[in-house]
Amino acid sequence: MRKPFSQRGNIILEASLLIPLIVLLLVGMSQIAKITYTYFTLRKTVYSVATYLSSRQGVNFCDAGDPTVTEAITFGLTGTTDNSQPVFVTGLTPDMIQVSALRFDPVAQTVGQCSCSITGCDLAAGGTAPDYITVSIPNGYQIPVRIPMLPTMDPILLKPTVKVPYGGT
Amino acid sequence: MSVQFLVIMVPVVLGMMGFAVDLGRLYLIRGELNQAASAMAMAAASQLNGTIGATDLATTAANSTLDTNQYNFGSVTIGQGTALLESTAPSPAFFDTVANALAAVGQTTPASTADGTTARHVTMNLSADAPLLFWSLLTLGQSRKTSIAAAAVAGVSAPVCTACGIDPYAIAAVDSTEPINFGFTPGNLYTLGFNCNGNPALLPGTTAPALKYLIIDRYNTGIPFDETQQLFRTGSQGLLPSTTPGLACSTIGNMEAVWATTITPTLNCAAGTPNPSVQNAMCGLSARMTDPTQFNNCNLVTDIATLATAYTADTDVQTETDYTVYTGNNRRVLTLPIVDALSTAGTMTVLGFRQFLLQPTTNFATASSNNPSDGDSRFVAMYLGVVAPVKQGSIGPACGVTSGPGKVVLHQ
Repeated sequence: MRKPFSQRGNIILEASLLIPLIVLLLVGMSQIAKITYTYFTLRKTVYSVATYLSSRQGVNFCDAGDPTVTEAITFGLTGTTDNSQPVFVTGLTPDMIQVSALRFDPVAQTVGQCSCSITGCDLAAGGTAPDYITVSIPNGYQIPVRIPMLPTMDPILLKPTVKVPYGGT
Repeated sequence: MSVQFLVIMVPVVLGMMGFAVDLGRLYLIRGELNQAASAMAMAAASQLNGTIGATDLATTAANSTLDTNQYNFGSVTIGQGTALLESTAPSPAFFDTVANALAAVGQTTPASTADGTTARHVTMNLSADAPLLFWSLLTLGQSRKTSIAAAAVAGVSAPVCTACGIDPYAIAAVDSTEPINFGFTPGNLYTLGFNCNGNPALLPGTTAPALKYLIIDRYNTGIPFDETQQLFRTGSQGLLPSTTPGLACSTIGNMEAVWATTITPTLNCAAGTPNPSVQNAMCGLSARMTDPTQFNNCNLVTDIATLATAYTADTDVQTETDYTVYTGNNRRVLTLPIVDALSTAGTMTVLGFRQFLLQPTTNFATASSNNPSDGDSRFVAMYLGVVAPVKQGSIGPACGVTSGPGKVVLHQ
């Protein structure tokens, strides 16, 4: 049965009020999902780099150009060690990922940064292997948030960090 | 009709999207917890060295990872929580078999069935509250959170066939047909002396026979350390790390050659003066117990004063008659390749790896154990058998051994 003209007007009016809200809600939810998915992928990336490195011999964490560190980061970013596949996360570059070596102090029972010296973790200078490593994205991975009809929002910085023991598996 | 359809479908679609968003977040948090549990279990398992204090060391090692491996977008420390979100990070549970460790997965507070002397596997159970955004609109989710659990099991693997970073003092099996201890007696103190013509004299308190050793060749001309420094470092920490496995590791069944300068010239036992290269390695070995710069002979090592700072002594340098009460940081635990027979001219076949505890020198002025100036480069070590995992190595390809040190692996 066809609605009277006046009722049809009400429906259009209500729809015009509600549809923007619904669209806003839908876009907002998709943005949350995008952030969650991206963070999860970044976290898996840094974890992959960490576990790859933790089982490798002779890694000099004090050498920014250490080939094993480069290889591990490439593996984390692309799933390959020869860069033959595209990166999992667009815009994530090797220089954004930082690998740090940590040393356990058996006297103080604390974990601290391992210095790049002979008494620390600089293998080239005669140092020894670390006890833990951390892999992080210290400056964060920027993810833009775009919601129509709202003013431009600042991008969100995602900074996943993982720590694993050095050695094993 | 289309408007009615819209009225029905909009809440359904929104509900489903909300469901998906919350589910995605729960999935993310479970992933974060899994990674944290894995790191904790691996860190704990690496400390299982067969001593009474191993479980405390393991717990400390596991907890050392918590400050970084946070959850909920890396914002909440596991075990601390927030006003809304609670989380628990109980101490690791320890087990002697992997089956027992796997059986404890999912238990809120699993009870350890092994102490530090027998523990070989670790179960780590974590649980944390995850916040709910859209589900909280439903009756079911009015607490605005739900609990997520994660678990990991790590432990010491089957015997490795290739062990890296081991101590390159090859000794011959007393009984090469005995696969568990190769004829050595666990708990016995042995005199280890460098291979010489004759037999090195026994050091006080040690059991016959004296075990002769040779240093397997890992001289690497491709690194910026001269031979004296490489020998010192090898003595102090084991095989030097390298991306080339042949330099950093030793493999069961492989032939090993002796470090050339350590056997030229070959000395008679009790000759009084050690081979300089062996002496440099002994200086490194002494660094595990004390400051090697106190020995005048160690000044043969290039820049010994600087190099010695890299290798601090073990945190427990007491003489041990019972290994289980050792409380050090494993600097004194030596993993040695056991070979079929020592050979200075040919090659030696590696039969397996076994572990010893280096004993200290109680009086450097008179005792010759661990003293780099000792003519036969002797030191005292307690035979342990297999107690601690090696830092790195590989299990395959199959090498046919049933006993030996493993490495830390993640089972789940």
